Amino acid sequence: MDDSTKQVLRQIIRRIPLNKLQNMLSKWEHLSKKQLRSLEFTQPKWLLCDNLLSICEENDLSMKHVTELEIIYRIDHPAQGSWNVCQLIDPEEEAVTADLLHFKQLFKAHLRGLISHVSVKTKKHEDGAIWIRIAWGDNFTQPNHLKPTYVVHHLQTPYVFVSGLTMKHKPLLHQALVLSAHYGGIKDVHLSGRCLTALRDLLMRQYKQVFPVKHPRLLLERSPLPSNPNIQMEHAKHAENRLQMAAEAFGEGILPKLETAVYKLETRFRENGNGMLGRREEPFRGVVKFASSNLLESLKYCVSSGMASAPVTPLLSSITQKGRNYFVITDKGPGASHTPGPNI
Amino acid sequence: MSLLKPLNKLPELNTANVLLVENEELFQKKLADAIVLLENNVNVIVRLARSLPLPLESRPRIDLVVFIVHLNSEQSLLSAEASLKHLDSSYFLGKVCFLVTGARCGTLPYERLTSLKKLAATLNSPLLMTEDRTTEGVNTVAQRVLAVLRVAAGLVPMATGLYLSSLTRCTVPTDPDWQNQD
Repeated sequence: MDDSTKQVLRQIIRRIPLNKLQNMLSKWEHLSKKQLRSLEFTQPKWLLCDNLLSICEENDLSMKHVTELEIIYRIDHPAQGSWNVCQLIDPEEEAVTADLLHFKQLFKAHLRGLISHVSVKTKKHEDGAIWIRIAWGDNFTQPNHLKPTYVVHHLQTPYVFVSGLTMKHKPLLHQALVLSAHYGGIKDVHLSGRCLTALRDLLMRQYKQVFPVKHPRLLLERSPLPSNPNIQMEHAKHAENRLQMAAEAFGEGILPKLETAVYKLETRFRENGNGMLGRREEPFRGVVKFASSNLLESLKYCVSSGMASAPVTPLLSSITQKGRNYFVITDKGPGASHTPGPNI
Repeated sequence: MSLLKPLNKLPELNTANVLLVENEELFQKKLADAIVLLENNVNVIVRLARSLPLPLESRPRIDLVVFIVHLNSEQSLLSAEASLKHLDSSYFLGKVCFLVTGARCGTLPYERLTSLKKLAATLNSPLLMTEDRTTEGVNTVAQRVLAVLRVAAGLVPMATGLYLSSLTRCTVPTDPDWQNQD
């Protein structure tokens, strides 16, 4: 083991909480049972780390093995850092029949063709997703394992989830992905969040959706009955209506966990008076950012409790309908800037 | 949208209707339960609403309108003020009552309570301070609302809502710096 491997292993151990470390190391399968038992998990972390390093040296583990530990930990705890989503477009015929091994080989070959110093490690998750860990190097430097990029792709779906990618390496990764998955192109979906499963559920519509119906019986049945016949809700019908609207816009049950929604405004400033800002020709730039630990749940509550007006504005409902949380809002056309209703 | 009028429906025998208006819908269910449990002699019907106006079809007779205002939110006060516009003026002859929660908390802006007191005073309506966190407080306020309701619904002989409210209505002292004295 060289120094850089040791440094990477130390960093990985530092990131894993002590109570999860034993479980991770047994999943890693590069330590024998006896070696695992010899480690004292009640020790302080730096001492434990030193012991672990000596065992790893004994077993003659290399960087390849060490990064495997990180990928195992990352698969179990994907909510570290922000994930961005890209969509592959224009599938070719082979895209439907692509298999994992083939994809893996092609991806590695394509990426190595594009950049000389790169280290790629893949692992198949239980749910069928392929996890790719990429450590980027330069033409003259070795791959930097301290800042890897993670890519998650479910084969036969067009979506790719990327975390920790710099602008510099973006075109390389996109090109390798497009070529190895047999697609014609790739585009940014403008969806990002910390929770990987939530992003996947939102894009693949794997949450409980509600569709407009003429007779909302189910909702009537579900609403809690007043405890006493002498207590009556005067606005019961409105409340039902609001609940239905909210459920139609955001779904029901457990909603995917998004953290932010960003609206970038490039519209003209509208005001009733004859102020300075209203007369300007150029757009008034601004950013509106909604943040919450569970944004969709919060928005749904706003609508169902009556804080927001009942037919949900398309600006909010398109988070779920279009599966994105970054929008740029511009006026429709250069001349028709008076018309309300922004263009998304 | 037409105004809510107190006398456009005939009264039923031995029945009192009370409407609780609260924008937040936090306290009104608790209060409604307490009111219904407390009263055994009279058939009390509690109606809950976030705000006025009520839907036009199936508008019931309402003997007393109670506005619940939480002092910790400005919206609560604004919503009550907006709802007041949908009441017929004859309601203010003893058929409206205000409940205030959170007045004990010292960190809240005092102007809110002042403006609410002024509002109640100009409308000749009683203003009841409420403790909404404890069951005792809820029961106490339920009793007080019931007492007002019985009179407003005409269930107490020789007393009318107008008579009661002239005794219980909120008054604001004319001294300009009265709020600094307490």
